Amino acid sequence: MIELISVPSLLTVQDAGRTGYRRLGVPVSGFMDGFSARIANYLVGNPGDAPLLEFLLAGPKIKFNASVVFAVAGDVEVKLNGVPIEAWRSYWAKRGDILEVGTLRSGLYGYIALAGGIKCERLLGSCSAYPRADLGRPLKTGDRLSVGYALLTGREGRFLPPKLRPNYSRDKVEVRVVLGPDLDHFTEKGIETFLNSAYTITPESDRMGYRLDGPSVEHSEKGADIVTGPLISGSVQVPANGKPIVMMKDAQTTGGYAKIATVISADLSRLAQSRPGTKVQFKEVTPNEALKELKRREKTLEAIKDFLDGKLRAYSVRALGREFLTFAGKV
Amino acid sequence: MEIKPLGDSAILISFGEVIDDSINARVHAVARAIEKKDFDWLVETVPAYSSLAVIFDPLRASFEDVREAIQPLLGVSAEAFMGRRIEIPVLYGGEYGPDIEFVAQYNGLSVDDVIELHSGKTYRVHFLGFLPGFAYLSPVDERITIPRLEKPRLKVPAGSVGIAGRQTGIYPIESPGGWRLIGRTPLRLFDPGRDPPTLLQPGDEVNFVPIGEKEFWEIHKAEWGDG
Repeated sequence: MIELISVPSLLTVQDAGRTGYRRLGVPVSGFMDGFSARIANYLVGNPGDAPLLEFLLAGPKIKFNASVVFAVAGDVEVKLNGVPIEAWRSYWAKRGDILEVGTLRSGLYGYIALAGGIKCERLLGSCSAYPRADLGRPLKTGDRLSVGYALLTGREGRFLPPKLRPNYSRDKVEVRVVLGPDLDHFTEKGIETFLNSAYTITPESDRMGYRLDGPSVEHSEKGADIVTGPLISGSVQVPANGKPIVMMKDAQTTGGYAKIATVISADLSRLAQSRPGTKVQFKEVTPNEALKELKRREKTLEAIKDFLDGKLRAYSVRALGREFLTFAGKV
Repeated sequence: MEIKPLGDSAILISFGEVIDDSINARVHAVARAIEKKDFDWLVETVPAYSSLAVIFDPLRASFEDVREAIQPLLGVSAEAFMGRRIEIPVLYGGEYGPDIEFVAQYNGLSVDDVIELHSGKTYRVHFLGFLPGFAYLSPVDERITIPRLEKPRLKVPAGSVGIAGRQTGIYPIESPGGWRLIGRTPLRLFDPGRDPPTLLQPGDEVNFVPIGEKEFWEIHKAEWGDG
Protein backbone atom coordinates (compact mmCIF):
# COMPACT_ATOMS: atom_id res chain seq x y z
CA MET A 1 0.00 0.00 0.00
CA ILE A 2 1.20 3.52 -0.75
CA GLU A 3 -0.19 6.82 0.47
CA LEU A 4 -0.11 10.09 -1.45
CA ILE A 5 1.28 12.76 0.88
CA SER A 6 1.10 15.54 -1.69
CA VAL A 7 -0.12 15.75 -5.27
CA PRO A 8 1.05 18.97 -6.95
CA SER A 9 -0.39 18.34 -10.41
CA LEU A 10 -2.50 16.00 -12.51
CA LEU A 11 -1.76 12.49 -11.28
CA THR A 12 -3.65 9.51 -12.70
CA VAL A 13 -3.43 5.75 -12.98
CA GLN A 14 -2.86 4.72 -16.61
CA ASP A 15 -2.24 1.49 -18.45
CA ALA A 16 -2.07 0.60 -22.14
CA GLY A 17 -5.61 1.93 -22.62
CA ARG A 18 -9.19 0.91 -23.10
CA THR A 19 -9.93 -0.83 -26.37
CA GLY A 20 -13.14 -2.37 -27.65
CA TYR A 21 -15.46 0.45 -26.63
CA ARG A 22 -14.74 3.11 -29.21
CA ARG A 23 -17.90 2.23 -31.11
CA LEU A 24 -19.78 3.31 -27.96
CA GLY A 25 -17.96 6.64 -27.90
CA VAL A 26 -15.49 5.69 -25.16
CA PRO A 27 -11.96 7.07 -25.75
CA VAL A 28 -8.94 4.79 -25.53
CA SER A 29 -6.91 6.83 -22.97
CA GLY A 30 -3.79 5.14 -21.56
CA PHE A 31 -0.13 6.21 -21.27
CA MET A 32 0.50 9.54 -23.04
CA ASP A 33 4.11 8.45 -23.54
CA GLY A 34 3.95 4.69 -24.03
CA PHE A 35 7.73 4.47 -24.54
CA SER A 36 8.71 5.87 -21.12
CA ALA A 37 5.80 4.17 -19.37
CA ARG A 38 6.75 0.74 -20.68
CA ILE A 39 10.38 1.22 -19.68
CA ALA A 40 9.23 2.29 -16.19
CA ASN A 41 7.31 -0.99 -15.95
CA TYR A 42 10.26 -3.03 -17.25
CA LEU A 43 12.52 -1.38 -14.65
CA VAL A 44 10.47 -3.00 -11.88
CA GLY A 45 9.95 -6.29 -13.71
CA ASN A 46 6.33 -5.67 -14.70
CA PRO A 47 4.73 -6.41 -18.06
CA GLY A 48 4.87 -3.23 -20.18
CA ASP A 49 1.14 -2.57 -19.95
CA ALA A 50 0.83 -2.77 -16.14
CA PRO A 51 -1.04 0.11 -14.45
CA LEU A 52 1.26 2.81 -13.10
CA LEU A 53 1.17 6.47 -12.03
CA GLU A 54 1.39 9.19 -14.66
CA PHE A 55 2.13 12.74 -13.54
CA LEU A 56 2.03 15.97 -15.46
CA LEU A 57 5.16 18.15 -14.94
CA ALA A 58 5.48 17.76 -11.18
CA GLY A 59 5.58 14.48 -9.30
CA PRO A 60 3.93 13.54 -6.00
CA LYS A 61 5.28 12.79 -2.55
CA ILE A 62 4.53 9.21 -1.60
CA LYS A 63 4.72 7.24 1.66
CA PHE A 64 5.26 3.49 1.42
CA ASN A 65 3.26 1.46 3.92
CA ALA A 66 4.87 -1.80 2.83
CA SER A 67 8.02 -2.97 1.05
CA VAL A 68 7.82 -2.07 -2.63
CA VAL A 69 10.24 -1.95 -5.54
CA PHE A 70 9.67 1.22 -7.54
CA ALA A 71 11.19 3.22 -10.41
CA VAL A 72 10.65 6.75 -11.73
CA ALA A 73 10.87 7.50 -15.46
CA GLY A 74 11.48 11.08 -16.55
CA ASP A 75 14.06 13.86 -16.54
CA VAL A 76 13.45 14.63 -12.88
CA GLU A 77 15.04 14.92 -9.45
CA VAL A 78 14.02 12.09 -7.12
CA LYS A 79 14.60 11.71 -3.38
CA LEU A 80 14.10 8.74 -1.07
CA ASN A 81 13.89 9.81 2.60
CA GLY A 82 15.43 13.14 1.58
CA VAL A 83 18.44 11.53 -0.11
CA PRO A 84 18.82 12.08 -3.87
CA ILE A 85 18.43 8.89 -5.91
CA GLU A 86 18.35 8.31 -9.65
CA ALA A 87 15.49 8.30 -12.09
CA TRP A 88 15.45 5.35 -14.54
CA ARG A 89 16.67 3.00 -11.77
CA SER A 90 14.63 0.67 -9.56
CA TYR A 91 14.91 0.80 -5.77
CA TRP A 92 13.60 -1.18 -2.86
CA ALA A 93 11.54 0.99 -0.49
CA LYS A 94 10.76 -0.18 3.02
CA ARG A 95 7.68 0.48 5.12
CA GLY A 96 7.68 4.13 6.20
CA ASP A 97 10.00 5.36 3.43
CA ILE A 98 9.11 8.64 1.70
CA LEU A 99 9.57 9.16 -2.03
CA GLU A 100 9.66 12.71 -3.41
CA VAL A 101 9.49 13.28 -7.14
CA GLY A 102 10.35 16.81 -8.28
CA THR A 103 9.45 18.83 -11.36
CA LEU A 104 10.45 17.57 -14.80
CA ARG A 105 13.44 19.45 -16.25
CA SER A 106 12.32 18.48 -19.74
CA GLY A 107 9.34 16.57 -21.13
CA LEU A 108 5.78 16.83 -19.89
CA TYR A 109 4.76 13.45 -18.46
CA GLY A 110 6.61 11.33 -15.91
CA TYR A 111 5.92 7.81 -14.65
CA ILE A 112 6.19 5.98 -11.35
CA ALA A 113 6.03 2.20 -11.63
CA LEU A 114 5.66 -0.21 -8.71
CA ALA A 115 6.56 -3.91 -8.88
CA GLY A 116 3.31 -5.85 -9.12
CA GLY A 117 1.52 -2.90 -10.69
CA ILE A 118 -1.05 -0.62 -9.12
CA LYS A 119 -4.19 -2.47 -8.11
CA CYS A 120 -7.24 -0.74 -9.43
CA GLU A 121 -10.79 -1.30 -10.43
CA ARG A 122 -10.83 -2.27 -14.08
CA LEU A 123 -13.60 -0.34 -15.76
CA LEU A 124 -14.44 -1.61 -19.24
CA GLY A 125 -11.28 -3.66 -19.16
CA SER A 126 -8.79 -0.95 -18.24
CA CYS A 127 -7.44 1.02 -15.28
CA SER A 128 -6.78 4.11 -17.39
CA ALA A 129 -8.41 7.16 -15.85
CA TYR A 130 -10.81 9.10 -18.05
CA PRO A 131 -12.42 11.27 -15.38
CA ARG A 132 -14.96 12.99 -17.66
CA ALA A 133 -16.96 9.78 -17.87
CA ASP A 134 -16.36 8.58 -14.30
CA LEU A 135 -13.81 6.07 -15.56
CA GLY A 136 -11.35 6.61 -12.74
CA ARG A 137 -10.53 10.05 -11.32
CA PRO A 138 -7.49 12.27 -10.78
CA LEU A 139 -5.67 11.20 -7.62
CA LYS A 140 -5.48 13.58 -4.66
CA THR A 141 -3.61 14.05 -1.42
CA GLY A 142 -4.53 11.39 1.11
CA ASP A 143 -5.43 8.73 -1.46
CA ARG A 144 -4.14 5.25 -0.71
CA LEU A 145 -3.33 2.80 -3.48
CA SER A 146 -2.80 -0.93 -3.29
CA VAL A 147 0.02 -2.64 -5.12
CA GLY A 148 -0.33 -6.02 -6.77
CA TYR A 149 1.53 -8.98 -5.31
CA ALA A 150 5.03 -9.53 -6.67
CA LEU A 151 8.23 -11.21 -5.63
CA LEU A 152 10.55 -8.26 -5.12
CA THR A 153 13.94 -9.95 -5.20
CA GLY A 154 15.78 -9.29 -8.42
CA ARG A 155 13.61 -6.36 -9.36
CA GLU A 156 15.63 -3.72 -7.58
CA GLY A 157 18.80 -2.16 -8.96
CA ARG A 158 17.74 -2.35 -12.61
CA PHE A 159 19.14 0.62 -14.47
CA LEU A 160 18.58 2.20 -17.86
CA PRO A 161 21.85 3.59 -19.29
CA PRO A 162 21.62 7.32 -20.09
CA LYS A 163 22.19 6.61 -23.79
CA LEU A 164 18.89 4.76 -23.97
CA ARG A 165 16.79 7.39 -22.23
CA PRO A 166 14.45 9.45 -24.36
CA ASN A 167 15.60 12.97 -25.13
CA TYR A 168 13.00 15.71 -24.99
CA SER A 169 13.70 18.84 -26.95
CA ARG A 170 12.35 22.11 -25.63
CA ASP A 171 12.62 24.01 -28.92
CA LYS A 172 11.67 21.87 -31.86
CA VAL A 173 10.30 18.42 -32.53
CA GLU A 174 9.97 16.69 -35.90
CA VAL A 175 6.86 14.58 -36.12
CA ARG A 176 6.18 12.20 -38.99
CA VAL A 177 2.69 11.92 -40.44
CA VAL A 178 0.73 9.88 -42.94
CA LEU A 179 -1.30 12.34 -45.02
CA GLY A 180 -5.11 12.06 -45.28
CA PRO A 181 -7.78 10.83 -45.17
CA ASP A 182 -9.71 14.07 -45.90
CA LEU A 183 -7.19 15.64 -48.30
CA ASP A 184 -9.94 16.77 -50.71
CA HIS A 185 -10.96 19.31 -48.04
CA PHE A 186 -7.61 21.10 -48.42
CA THR A 187 -5.97 23.01 -51.25
CA GLU A 188 -2.56 21.97 -52.49
CA LYS A 189 -1.27 25.18 -51.01
CA GLY A 190 -2.87 24.27 -47.66
CA ILE A 191 -1.14 20.89 -47.59
CA GLU A 192 2.16 22.58 -48.47
CA THR A 193 1.68 25.12 -45.68
CA PHE A 194 1.03 22.27 -43.24
CA LEU A 195 4.20 20.39 -44.23
CA ASN A 196 6.50 23.37 -44.60
CA SER A 197 5.69 25.47 -41.52
CA ALA A 198 6.69 25.23 -37.90
CA TYR A 199 3.68 25.11 -35.57
CA THR A 200 3.76 26.03 -31.90
CA ILE A 201 2.02 23.91 -29.26
CA THR A 202 -0.36 26.21 -27.37
CA PRO A 203 -1.18 26.08 -23.64
CA GLU A 204 -4.76 24.93 -24.48
CA SER A 205 -3.42 21.43 -24.86
CA ASP A 206 -4.22 18.42 -22.72
CA ARG A 207 -4.58 14.64 -22.79
CA MET A 208 -7.40 15.04 -25.31
CA GLY A 209 -5.58 17.09 -27.93
CA TYR A 210 -2.64 19.40 -28.67
CA ARG A 211 -3.71 22.68 -30.28
CA LEU A 212 -1.20 24.26 -32.60
CA ASP A 213 -0.63 27.83 -33.68
CA GLY A 214 1.05 28.89 -36.91
CA PRO A 215 0.28 29.63 -40.55
CA SER A 216 -3.37 28.83 -41.39
CA VAL A 217 -3.92 25.71 -43.48
CA GLU A 218 -6.13 26.59 -46.44
CA HIS A 219 -9.26 24.51 -46.99
CA SER A 220 -10.61 23.70 -50.44
CA GLU A 221 -14.10 24.78 -51.56
CA LYS A 222 -15.41 21.71 -49.65
CA GLY A 223 -14.64 23.56 -46.42
CA ALA A 224 -13.48 22.53 -42.95
CA ASP A 225 -16.52 20.52 -41.90
CA ILE A 226 -17.08 16.89 -42.86
CA VAL A 227 -19.93 14.52 -42.11
CA THR A 228 -18.84 13.42 -38.62
CA GLY A 229 -16.46 10.48 -38.96
CA PRO A 230 -14.05 8.34 -36.90
CA LEU A 231 -10.69 9.61 -35.72
CA ILE A 232 -7.82 8.11 -33.74
CA SER A 233 -5.07 9.43 -31.52
CA GLY A 234 -2.60 11.10 -33.84
CA SER A 235 -5.34 12.40 -36.16
CA VAL A 236 -4.73 16.03 -37.13
CA GLN A 237 -8.01 17.93 -37.47
CA VAL A 238 -8.09 21.37 -39.04
CA PRO A 239 -11.13 23.50 -38.13
CA ALA A 240 -12.24 26.54 -40.12
CA ASN A 241 -9.59 28.83 -38.58
CA GLY A 242 -6.90 26.71 -40.24
CA LYS A 243 -5.02 25.89 -37.01
CA PRO A 244 -4.27 22.14 -36.68
CA ILE A 245 -5.28 20.13 -33.60
CA VAL A 246 -3.51 16.82 -32.96
CA MET A 247 -5.75 14.35 -31.16
CA MET A 248 -4.01 12.62 -28.24
CA LYS A 249 -4.87 9.63 -26.00
CA ASP A 250 -8.15 10.96 -24.58
CA ALA A 251 -9.34 11.88 -28.10
CA GLN A 252 -13.03 11.75 -28.76
CA THR A 253 -13.83 8.79 -31.02
CA THR A 254 -15.39 10.81 -33.86
CA GLY A 255 -15.09 14.35 -35.13
CA GLY A 256 -16.54 16.76 -37.65
CA TYR A 257 -13.45 18.63 -38.86
CA ALA A 258 -11.45 17.55 -41.90
CA LYS A 259 -8.35 15.48 -41.05
CA ILE A 260 -5.25 16.47 -42.98
CA ALA A 261 -2.93 13.80 -41.56
CA THR A 262 -2.23 11.30 -38.77
CA VAL A 263 0.90 11.31 -36.61
CA ILE A 264 2.62 7.92 -36.88
CA SER A 265 2.44 5.63 -33.84
CA ALA A 266 6.22 5.67 -33.37
CA ASP A 267 6.24 9.47 -32.92
CA LEU A 268 3.20 9.96 -30.66
CA SER A 269 5.19 9.53 -27.43
CA ARG A 270 7.69 12.19 -28.47
CA LEU A 271 4.91 14.62 -29.38
CA ALA A 272 3.16 13.89 -26.07
CA GLN A 273 6.34 14.91 -24.22
CA SER A 274 6.57 18.26 -26.04
CA ARG A 275 5.60 21.22 -23.90
CA PRO A 276 3.49 24.20 -24.91
CA GLY A 277 5.80 26.59 -26.76
CA THR A 278 7.66 23.77 -28.54
CA LYS A 279 7.75 24.07 -32.33
CA VAL A 280 6.37 21.13 -34.29
CA GLN A 281 7.54 20.37 -37.82
CA PHE A 282 5.51 17.75 -39.70
CA LYS A 283 7.14 15.42 -42.19
CA GLU A 284 5.28 13.18 -44.62
CA VAL A 285 5.93 9.41 -44.69
CA THR A 286 4.06 6.47 -46.23
CA PRO A 287 2.10 4.00 -44.06
CA ASN A 288 4.82 1.41 -44.77
CA GLU A 289 7.59 3.73 -43.59
CA ALA A 290 5.49 4.43 -40.49
CA LEU A 291 5.21 0.71 -39.88
CA LYS A 292 8.96 0.24 -40.28
CA GLU A 293 9.55 2.93 -37.65
CA LEU A 294 7.08 1.30 -35.29
CA LYS A 295 8.76 -2.10 -35.71
CA ARG A 296 12.14 -0.52 -35.04
CA ARG A 297 10.75 1.07 -31.86
CA GLU A 298 9.25 -2.23 -30.71
CA LYS A 299 12.59 -3.96 -31.28
CA THR A 300 14.35 -1.33 -29.18
CA LEU A 301 11.81 -1.72 -26.38
CA GLU A 302 12.16 -5.50 -26.46
CA ALA A 303 15.95 -5.24 -26.30
CA ILE A 304 15.66 -2.84 -23.37
CA LYS A 305 13.33 -5.26 -21.60
CA ASP A 306 15.69 -8.19 -22.16
CA PHE A 307 18.62 -6.10 -20.99
CA LEU A 308 16.79 -5.07 -17.80
CA ASP A 309 15.71 -8.68 -17.26
CA GLY A 310 19.35 -9.70 -17.50
CA LYS A 311 18.85 -11.67 -20.72
CA LEU A 312 20.97 -9.36 -22.86
CA ARG A 313 24.17 -7.48 -22.17
CA ALA A 314 24.70 -3.91 -23.22
CA TYR A 315 28.04 -2.90 -24.69
CA SER A 316 29.46 0.50 -25.44
CA VAL A 317 30.88 0.75 -28.94
CA ARG A 318 32.97 3.60 -30.29
CA ALA A 319 32.37 4.38 -33.92
CA LEU A 320 32.50 7.51 -36.07
CA GLY A 321 33.92 9.33 -33.08
CA ARG A 322 30.77 8.69 -31.07
CA GLU A 323 29.85 6.20 -28.45
CA PHE A 324 26.97 3.85 -29.19
CA LEU A 325 25.25 1.31 -27.02
CA THR A 326 24.60 -2.11 -28.43
CA PHE A 327 23.05 -5.30 -27.08
CA ALA A 328 24.39 -8.79 -27.47
CA GLY A 329 24.16 -12.39 -26.44
CA LYS A 330 21.88 -14.43 -24.24
CA VAL A 331 23.25 -14.67 -20.71
CA MET B 1 -16.57 3.72 -51.87
CA GLU B 2 -13.11 4.84 -50.82
CA ILE B 3 -10.53 3.09 -48.67
CA LYS B 4 -7.74 5.20 -47.20
CA PRO B 5 -5.15 4.87 -44.47
CA LEU B 6 -5.97 6.60 -41.20
CA GLY B 7 -2.39 6.73 -39.94
CA ASP B 8 -0.46 3.46 -39.59
CA SER B 9 -2.90 1.58 -37.38
CA ALA B 10 -6.30 2.21 -38.94
CA ILE B 11 -8.07 2.13 -42.28
CA LEU B 12 -10.98 4.38 -43.16
CA ILE B 13 -13.77 3.14 -45.40
CA SER B 14 -15.96 5.94 -46.72
CA PHE B 15 -19.36 5.17 -48.23
CA GLY B 16 -20.00 8.79 -49.35
CA GLU B 17 -20.26 12.07 -47.49
CA VAL B 18 -23.93 11.99 -46.56
CA ILE B 19 -26.26 11.37 -43.64
CA ASP B 20 -28.58 8.66 -44.87
CA ASP B 21 -30.34 5.73 -43.14
CA SER B 22 -29.56 3.10 -45.75
CA ILE B 23 -25.90 4.10 -46.10
CA ASN B 24 -25.55 4.06 -42.32
CA ALA B 25 -27.15 0.60 -42.21
CA ARG B 26 -24.46 -0.56 -44.67
CA VAL B 27 -21.73 0.93 -42.47
CA HIS B 28 -22.97 -1.15 -39.53
CA ALA B 29 -23.44 -4.28 -41.63
CA VAL B 30 -19.85 -4.09 -42.87
CA ALA B 31 -18.60 -3.38 -39.32
CA ARG B 32 -20.38 -6.48 -38.03
CA ALA B 33 -19.12 -8.62 -40.90
CA ILE B 34 -15.53 -7.57 -40.10
CA GLU B 35 -15.96 -8.11 -36.34
CA LYS B 36 -17.38 -11.58 -36.97
CA LYS B 37 -14.28 -12.69 -38.88
CA ASP B 38 -12.06 -12.70 -35.80
CA PHE B 39 -8.99 -11.45 -37.68
CA ASP B 40 -6.00 -11.68 -35.35
CA TRP B 41 -4.98 -8.12 -36.31
CA LEU B 42 -8.38 -6.59 -35.57
CA VAL B 43 -8.50 -4.25 -32.55
CA GLU B 44 -11.97 -2.80 -33.08
CA THR B 45 -14.25 -1.04 -35.55
CA VAL B 46 -15.63 2.50 -35.21
CA PRO B 47 -18.74 3.16 -37.31
CA ALA B 48 -19.95 6.73 -37.95
CA TYR B 49 -22.65 8.15 -40.29
CA SER B 50 -21.24 7.09 -43.62
CA SER B 51 -17.73 5.96 -42.77
CA LEU B 52 -16.11 3.20 -40.81
CA ALA B 53 -12.69 2.97 -39.18
CA VAL B 54 -11.08 -0.44 -38.83
CA ILE B 55 -8.43 -0.26 -36.12
CA PHE B 56 -5.73 -2.89 -36.48
CA ASP B 57 -2.50 -3.96 -34.82
CA PRO B 58 0.19 -2.72 -37.22
CA LEU B 59 2.63 -5.31 -35.87
CA ARG B 60 0.36 -8.07 -37.19
CA ALA B 61 -0.83 -6.63 -40.50
CA SER B 62 -0.07 -3.82 -42.91
CA PHE B 63 -2.51 -1.42 -44.52
CA GLU B 64 -2.48 -3.55 -47.68
CA ASP B 65 -3.10 -6.79 -45.75
CA VAL B 66 -6.11 -5.25 -44.03
CA ARG B 67 -7.50 -3.76 -47.23
CA GLU B 68 -7.24 -7.11 -48.98
CA ALA B 69 -8.84 -8.99 -46.09
CA ILE B 70 -11.88 -6.72 -45.80
CA GLN B 71 -12.45 -6.24 -49.54
CA PRO B 72 -14.76 -9.29 -49.87
CA LEU B 73 -16.86 -8.09 -46.91
CA LEU B 74 -17.68 -4.65 -48.27
CA GLY B 75 -20.65 -5.88 -50.30
CA VAL B 76 -22.64 -7.49 -47.45
CA SER B 77 -26.32 -6.69 -47.45
CA ALA B 78 -27.63 -4.36 -44.79
CA GLU B 79 -31.10 -5.80 -44.40
CA ALA B 80 -30.54 -8.42 -41.73
CA PHE B 81 -29.96 -5.79 -39.05
CA MET B 82 -32.75 -4.91 -36.62
CA GLY B 83 -32.13 -2.54 -33.75
CA ARG B 84 -34.02 -2.41 -30.49
CA ARG B 85 -36.79 0.11 -29.89
CA ILE B 86 -36.22 2.37 -26.89
CA GLU B 87 -38.43 5.05 -25.32
CA ILE B 88 -36.66 7.97 -23.69
CA PRO B 89 -38.71 10.04 -21.22
CA VAL B 90 -38.02 13.78 -21.56
CA LEU B 91 -38.98 16.76 -19.44
CA TYR B 92 -39.20 19.50 -22.07
CA GLY B 93 -38.57 23.25 -21.62
CA GLY B 94 -37.96 25.47 -18.60
CA GLU B 95 -34.58 25.19 -16.94
CA TYR B 96 -34.29 21.65 -18.32
CA GLY B 97 -34.48 22.83 -21.92
CA PRO B 98 -33.35 26.47 -21.89
CA ASP B 99 -33.29 26.86 -25.69
CA ILE B 100 -36.75 25.52 -26.46
CA GLU B 101 -38.33 28.98 -26.76
CA PHE B 102 -35.59 30.09 -29.13
CA VAL B 103 -36.12 26.97 -31.25
CA ALA B 104 -39.86 27.74 -31.34
CA GLN B 105 -39.41 31.43 -32.24
CA TYR B 106 -36.71 30.72 -34.82
CA ASN B 107 -39.09 28.37 -36.63
CA GLY B 108 -42.30 30.40 -36.06
CA LEU B 109 -43.85 27.77 -33.82
CA SER B 110 -45.15 27.44 -30.26
CA VAL B 111 -43.22 25.53 -27.60
CA ASP B 112 -45.92 22.86 -27.66
CA ASP B 113 -45.42 22.46 -31.41
CA VAL B 114 -41.70 21.88 -30.84
CA ILE B 115 -42.42 19.21 -28.21
CA GLU B 116 -44.98 17.53 -30.46
CA LEU B 117 -42.69 17.53 -33.50
CA HIS B 118 -39.65 16.34 -31.56
CA SER B 119 -41.46 13.53 -29.73
CA GLY B 120 -43.62 12.56 -32.69
CA LYS B 121 -40.83 10.93 -34.67
CA THR B 122 -38.82 7.74 -34.51
CA TYR B 123 -35.08 8.30 -34.73
CA ARG B 124 -32.30 5.89 -35.51
CA VAL B 125 -29.03 5.76 -33.57
CA HIS B 126 -26.63 6.29 -36.45
CA PHE B 127 -23.58 5.88 -34.23
CA LEU B 128 -22.14 6.76 -30.84
CA GLY B 129 -19.32 9.28 -30.65
CA PHE B 130 -18.15 12.62 -29.22
CA LEU B 131 -18.66 11.41 -25.64
CA PRO B 132 -19.12 7.95 -24.16
CA GLY B 133 -22.71 7.00 -24.97
CA PHE B 134 -23.51 10.11 -27.03
CA ALA B 135 -25.95 8.89 -29.71
CA TYR B 136 -26.28 10.71 -33.02
CA LEU B 137 -30.02 10.54 -33.81
CA SER B 138 -31.66 11.76 -36.98
CA PRO B 139 -33.43 13.04 -38.93
CA VAL B 140 -35.22 15.75 -36.96
CA ASP B 141 -38.45 17.16 -38.50
CA GLU B 142 -37.45 19.97 -40.86
CA ARG B 143 -39.75 22.41 -39.07
CA ILE B 144 -37.63 22.34 -35.87
CA THR B 145 -34.08 22.26 -37.25
CA ILE B 146 -31.75 24.86 -35.75
CA PRO B 147 -28.09 25.87 -36.09
CA ARG B 148 -25.66 25.19 -33.23
CA LEU B 149 -24.95 27.86 -30.60
CA GLU B 150 -22.38 30.37 -31.81
CA LYS B 151 -20.51 29.92 -28.55
CA PRO B 152 -20.79 26.48 -26.95
CA ARG B 153 -21.83 26.26 -23.29
CA LEU B 154 -19.03 25.30 -20.95
CA LYS B 155 -21.29 22.97 -18.99
CA VAL B 156 -24.25 21.02 -20.31
CA PRO B 157 -25.91 18.85 -17.63
CA ALA B 158 -26.04 15.06 -18.10
CA GLY B 159 -29.28 13.96 -19.77
CA SER B 160 -29.76 17.19 -21.74
CA VAL B 161 -31.56 16.67 -25.05
CA GLY B 162 -30.35 18.92 -27.86
CA ILE B 163 -30.84 19.67 -31.53
CA ALA B 164 -28.16 20.61 -34.08
CA GLY B 165 -29.23 20.91 -37.71
CA ARG B 166 -31.20 17.78 -38.55
CA GLN B 167 -29.68 15.82 -35.68
CA THR B 168 -30.85 15.34 -32.13
CA GLY B 169 -28.92 13.80 -29.26
CA ILE B 170 -28.62 13.37 -25.51
CA TYR B 171 -25.57 14.39 -23.46
CA PRO B 172 -24.76 11.26 -21.41
CA ILE B 173 -22.44 13.07 -18.99
CA GLU B 174 -21.83 16.69 -18.06
CA SER B 175 -19.66 18.28 -20.73
CA PRO B 176 -19.20 21.40 -22.83
CA GLY B 177 -21.61 21.50 -25.76
CA GLY B 178 -22.96 23.61 -28.61
CA TRP B 179 -26.29 21.95 -29.36
CA ARG B 180 -29.57 23.81 -28.58
CA LEU B 181 -31.09 22.27 -25.46
CA ILE B 182 -34.84 21.58 -25.44
CA GLY B 183 -35.25 19.17 -22.52
CA ARG B 184 -33.67 16.62 -20.25
CA THR B 185 -34.08 12.89 -19.65
CA PRO B 186 -33.74 11.35 -16.18
CA LEU B 187 -32.30 8.16 -17.72
CA ARG B 188 -28.65 7.32 -17.24
CA LEU B 189 -27.16 6.92 -20.70
CA PHE B 190 -23.64 5.98 -19.66
CA ASP B 191 -22.75 3.90 -16.62
CA PRO B 192 -19.17 2.63 -16.50
CA GLY B 193 -20.24 -0.09 -14.07
CA ARG B 194 -22.54 -1.73 -16.64
CA ASP B 195 -21.49 -3.82 -19.63
CA PRO B 196 -22.37 -2.61 -22.17
CA PRO B 197 -21.96 0.76 -20.49
CA THR B 198 -24.30 2.60 -22.82
CA LEU B 199 -28.09 2.55 -22.83
CA LEU B 200 -28.22 3.09 -26.60
CA GLN B 201 -26.45 1.06 -29.25
CA PRO B 202 -25.91 1.83 -32.91
CA GLY B 203 -28.97 0.80 -34.93
CA ASP B 204 -31.47 1.25 -32.09
CA GLU B 205 -34.71 3.10 -32.78
CA VAL B 206 -35.56 5.85 -30.34
CA ASN B 207 -38.80 7.65 -29.39
CA PHE B 208 -38.93 10.59 -27.00
CA VAL B 209 -41.87 10.63 -24.56
CA PRO B 210 -42.81 13.91 -22.80
CA ILE B 211 -43.08 13.61 -19.02
CA GLY B 212 -43.78 16.00 -16.10
CA GLU B 213 -41.41 17.22 -13.41
CA LYS B 214 -42.63 14.83 -10.68
CA GLU B 215 -42.15 11.82 -12.93
CA PHE B 216 -38.73 13.15 -13.99
CA TRP B 217 -37.42 13.16 -10.44
CA GLU B 218 -38.95 9.75 -9.62
CA ILE B 219 -37.16 8.16 -12.56
CA HIS B 220 -34.03 10.21 -11.84
CA LYS B 221 -33.85 8.84 -8.32
CA ALA B 222 -34.26 5.28 -9.53
CA GLU B 223 -31.57 5.72 -12.20
CA TRP B 224 -28.94 7.76 -10.38
CA GLY B 225 -29.59 6.96 -6.71
CA ASP B 226 -30.03 9.87 -4.35
CA GLY B 227 -27.39 12.09 -5.99
